[in-house]
Amino acid sequence: MNSTSNTLDTNGTTDTRAKPPSVLSTYRTELAIAGAIIVIMLGVGAFVPAALSLGNFANIAQAAAPLVIMALGILLVIITGGIDLSVGSVFSLTGMVAASAMANGVDGFTASLIGLGVGVVFGAINGALVTLAGLAPFVVTLITYAVAGSLAFIVTNGRSVGVAAPNYWLFNSGSLVPGIANYVLFCIIFLICLEFVLRKVTFGRWFYAVGSSSTAAHLLGVPVKRTRFAAYVFSSTMASFAGLLTLSYILNAESTSGASLMLQAIAAVVIGGASLFGGTGSAVGAVLGALMITVIQNGVNLIGINSFWQGSVTGLAILVAVLIDRFSQK
Amino acid sequence: MTSLSSSTTLAERQSNPQRPLVTLRGIQKSFGPTHVLKGVNFTVRPGQIHALLGGNGAGKSTMIRVITGEIRANAGDLHLQASHGGDPKVAVVYQELALIPDLTVAENIALVHAPSGFALKRQAQAALIAEEALSLIDPHLARTALFRKAGDLSMHEGQIVEIARALSTGAEVLLLDEPTANLTAAETEQLFAVLKGLAKDKGIGIVFVSHRMKEIRQLCDVCTIIRDGKTAIDARPIGMLTDAAIIQEMGQPAHRAEAQIARNDGQPVVATLTGPTIQHPIQRGTILGLAGAPEGPAHVISSLIGHGRHRDWCMTGDGWGNAPTSPRDAVAQGIGFVSGDRATKGVLAQLPIIDNVLASRRVRERRLFVGQNERSECAGLMQALKVKAGSAWDRPGTLSGGNQQKLLVARWLGLPLKMVVFEEPTRGVDIGTKRDMYALIRQMAEEGTIVVWWSTENVELLELCHEILAFDTEGQPKGFLPADRFDEDALAELTGMAA
Ligand SMILES: Nc1ncnc2c1ncn2[C@@H]1O[C@H](COP(=O)(O)OP(=O)(O)OP(=O)(O)O)[C@@H](O)[C@H]1O
Ligand SMILES: [Mg+2]
Repeated sequence: MNSTSNTLDTNGTTDTRAKPPSVLSTYRTELAIAGAIIVIMLGVGAFVPAALSLGNFANIAQAAAPLVIMALGILLVIITGGIDLSVGSVFSLTGMVAASAMANGVDGFTASLIGLGVGVVFGAINGALVTLAGLAPFVVTLITYAVAGSLAFIVTNGRSVGVAAPNYWLFNSGSLVPGIANYVLFCIIFLICLEFVLRKVTFGRWFYAVGSSSTAAHLLGVPVKRTRFAAYVFSSTMASFAGLLTLSYILNAESTSGASLMLQAIAAVVIGGASLFGGTGSAVGAVLGALMITVIQNGVNLIGINSFWQGSVTGLAILVAVLIDRFSQK
Repeated sequence: MTSLSSSTTLAERQSNPQRPLVTLRGIQKSFGPTHVLKGVNFTVRPGQIHALLGGNGAGKSTMIRVITGEIRANAGDLHLQASHGGDPKVAVVYQELALIPDLTVAENIALVHAPSGFALKRQAQAALIAEEALSLIDPHLARTALFRKAGDLSMHEGQIVEIARALSTGAEVLLLDEPTANLTAAETEQLFAVLKGLAKDKGIGIVFVSHRMKEIRQLCDVCTIIRDGKTAIDARPIGMLTDAAIIQEMGQPAHRAEAQIARNDGQPVVATLTGPTIQHPIQRGTILGLAGAPEGPAHVISSLIGHGRHRDWCMTGDGWGNAPTSPRDAVAQGIGFVSGDRATKGVLAQLPIIDNVLASRRVRERRLFVGQNERSECAGLMQALKVKAGSAWDRPGTLSGGNQQKLLVARWLGLPLKMVVFEEPTRGVDIGTKRDMYALIRQMAEEGTIVVWWSTENVELLELCHEILAFDTEGQPKGFLPADRFDEDALAELTGMAA
């Protein structure tokens, strides 16, 4: 074996001057996904030049926004080693509740708060059942998935509800910051905040600690239950927020609007390098994962492939991403 | 118990005792930039109990993983040959426990006998196999533990189950990576009798890794010493080497034989340790040892750190609040905890070393943010304990067992604490580091921290403690042994276990 110059001598103790790993190696997986997204976009662009137009980028951003936000939410749960199957149903229910409230004369702001309340409540239920009752996250969120899903029908007896948009708080497709649509702005803010919390805030590190070994974390004095609880509340609330955001530009709420989003959000997090066993994952990865899924769907549409193929292509993308992740580690 | 492959007879095997079962020649192995094995030689012969020695991180476990085929060497020859030709069956007890937590003890043991999974369908048969295997070294466990989930076993019980499982496979080569690290003296004795029998009567080749000199001398015939990934001593009869020579060959600082009796006279009494039937004043800076069968000490520890259901022991006195209700509460009160069961109770495997080391400080000092100065803090702590690691951003899983153990101690080093509770903290730690850890613990005590220390190694307790609380085999406290009455026999008598 030819030893290279940077071969560590196992005699030595730790090099105290050791620098933290460079941004490049920290975000290795993320960079690979970003590369893959660009390749996909260029590939689609080769068939359909319009795919590389500003207009299409705006489409992609708008379509990706709810998924990005949900993925960021569920990311926390997955880092703790749990899973949240209820996010899609909570997304639908939030839309139905907020839209019905507005249809009944409640102002946009209050209706949004009520909508977010749906997320908080369901998150709290998930969190309490997981932490206090000690039930398996899969089972707990399967239950709330079913319940929230059925409530979404019950609210209006299954009818869809339209809303008159423009006065709808600050969600609508306007721009608080000139040149950046609000939904993009939200995604960026959430991304930066969450990445910061996960890396630089002690409480953020606890999510990884809990996902890594909850017994060891508990013995160390990490507030395991509180951390888990927070993850579920955050996940559900973000799903609600995504529901409101979607409502603000679709202007119509349907009982099943979030049905396909739960699996996509989980897929996004997994593509982004998180392990379903917990302890790993990053906000940047989750966002890129969500973008990748959206770009693929957009490409399938533009090229004119039967949209029934979308799921298969996404599945393939997950496989490739996971394989890249698997083999980029030594 | 499955008998050895029937195609060979004992006579055949003994007719050719010198043909090695395992031969390693010039084996090299790197993990990324870390060059771990730099050409080791190693030979295991039938009927031989072979000590594989070396400091923490020398590469012993890596060699074992090369032999089992779990990892591939980058260069060199690995040759396995059963005495009748073909591949020998190899059984291994890994350094970290490897039982399936959701299966019962019986299933875990039976699993290796029929990997196709029949054990899971035929419970009765699995139980029979498991009982036979377990009664070899621990008849009590064989009677009581067969249908308990492996995940509910204590580290100590899990270790016995693993050893029993390896012994029962009828393998021709047994690789034992620090199997005694959490056994009591009595169990170790029992195990050694079995191992000697296997080597002598069945001609099995045994590799035994341990950091306990006394055990090595009791059990082994020859030793190979690994130092920095190279073979320093190759298969030398162990009687030819003095302790000092072995320690020197391992590259460890010479052992200063300071036979001092630990003294703690004149310190003020700062607390009272209260148990179900016992009350005892504790002086400032006391190092209190816990000895005896594991149940008793385990109860004391879980009470003192607020973990688990057992709450029948507590410290009371000025400045001691209520008994901690959770480990978090304990840390807030200034009570630290280090476990030798690093895989489940210690290491956060997915987090880099720096997070592992600093977690306790973040909790204790209620740090809001992950600070910049944590980097040098971590480096300082790692240096104080001579942790051998590539970088503070590596995962703890890339460290050798002993080095992982040091990380757990580093967590509490230099924090102002009222009490530190140690549960087998020197498990898997090499001789040199043990000395360093003793010194650190003495230093903690001198600064006024009360140290509660449970060890299954009585010699260690006698060397370090100011007094020892002994438990009998039923888990009942038998009384305190003051420093001036320390000797192995007195302790053995109190604990009801042969030393
Ligand atoms: N997967 C890995 N990646 C990187 N480094 C590793 C890996 N596994 C082991 N090492 C390194 O190899 C060296 C030898 O490790 P090994 O576990 O073989 O030591 P050991 O002799 O068994 O020590 P101990 O007595 O502490 O158990 C250590 O420095 C360790 O950090
Ligand atoms: Mg080892």
